[in-house]
Amino acid sequence: MNHKSIHNDLIFYLDNELSVEKRTAVEKHLEECADCRSFLAFLQDGMQVIEKEKNPEVSPFFYTRLSARLEEKEESQVQNQWVQLVQPVFFSLLLVAGIYGGLKLGSNASSPKSDQHVTSSIQMLNDFDAEPVESFLLDEL
Amino acid sequence: MDEAQLIKGIQQGDRKSFQILVETYQPMVVNTCLGIVHNQADAEDLAQDVFLEIFRTAEKFRGDSKLSTWLYRIATNRSLNLIRNNKRKRFFQSIEETFTGGRNRSSEISENRADQPDQNMADQQRSDLLHRAIDRLPEKQRIAFTLNKYEELPYQQIAEIMEISLASVESLIHRAKKNLQEQLLDCYKKKCV
Ligand SMILES: [Zn+2]
Repeated sequence: MNHKSIHNDLIFYLDNELSVEKRTAVEKHLEECADCRSFLAFLQDGMQVIEKEKNPEVSPFFYTRLSARLEEKEESQVQNQWVQLVQPVFFSLLLVAGIYGGLKLGSNASSPKSDQHVTSSIQMLNDFDAEPVESFLLDEL
Repeated sequence: MDEAQLIKGIQQGDRKSFQILVETYQPMVVNTCLGIVHNQADAEDLAQDVFLEIFRTAEKFRGDSKLSTWLYRIATNRSLNLIRNNKRKRFFQSIEETFTGGRNRSSEISENRADQPDQNMADQQRSDLLHRAIDRLPEKQRIAFTLNKYEELPYQQIAEIMEISLASVESLIHRAKKNLQEQLLDCYKKKCV
């Protein structure tokens, strides 16, 4: 067996996954070859990293931290519920105020320029349009 | 309390059941995440996210697979996501560095080093080498290898977690080992550590 094929098998040799024949051949080669022995040691040290670092001691405050995060989440959910409830009310009020303000502004701005007849008809039209919208929104609240 | 009772408790929002579940499974979840992200603080943060997800989505658990299978799936997915996000960040950082001349990076490396102050240089280099080699594995090989080496799971259980055949698991782990060996051999030849 040459170095290359030995190199390709060493990780399986370490994990005891070679057939008996292959295993014997690898061991025979290792006895004679310092370079392959040296790589085997290198590979073994490398893979040993896993054995050394796995199953670490977990922080004793793990659950305390987790529990705090859980409460944080729940609190922010409660806040979200409030926001969900208050937000539409607030925007409805804003909308009503906007419409009302707009109508007021519109009727004020048009009155000095145009003659009395047109203004009053617009006013009437506005009143007719605006009232149901306003009352509809107010009913919703 | 058995698995089904624990889950039922959590589905009803019972904190005590949740605490028992966390304390039972935290070593397993942290260890799995650690095998993928190689940093204990990150692994613990990820494990916390895993348990929060369990608490939030407990009602979805039907009990047709084992609780541990569910936990392993969430843990591996979240760990891979973290790695992907870090890669993306590093990509943008490297773009930034080409403009700033690489001033931001040295501080990050020294922080990582400070995590393990009393480890000697050779140990540190060896673990850096192995972590880099694991990080270069394709994702499926990495997951199968981690579950097998860090959690010592039998191939059959890995097949259930990854929802693939037993033969696929065998092939993934075989290729993962070959890949790692090649990378270590390359380093050995170049005397990189
Ligand atoms: Zn040789």
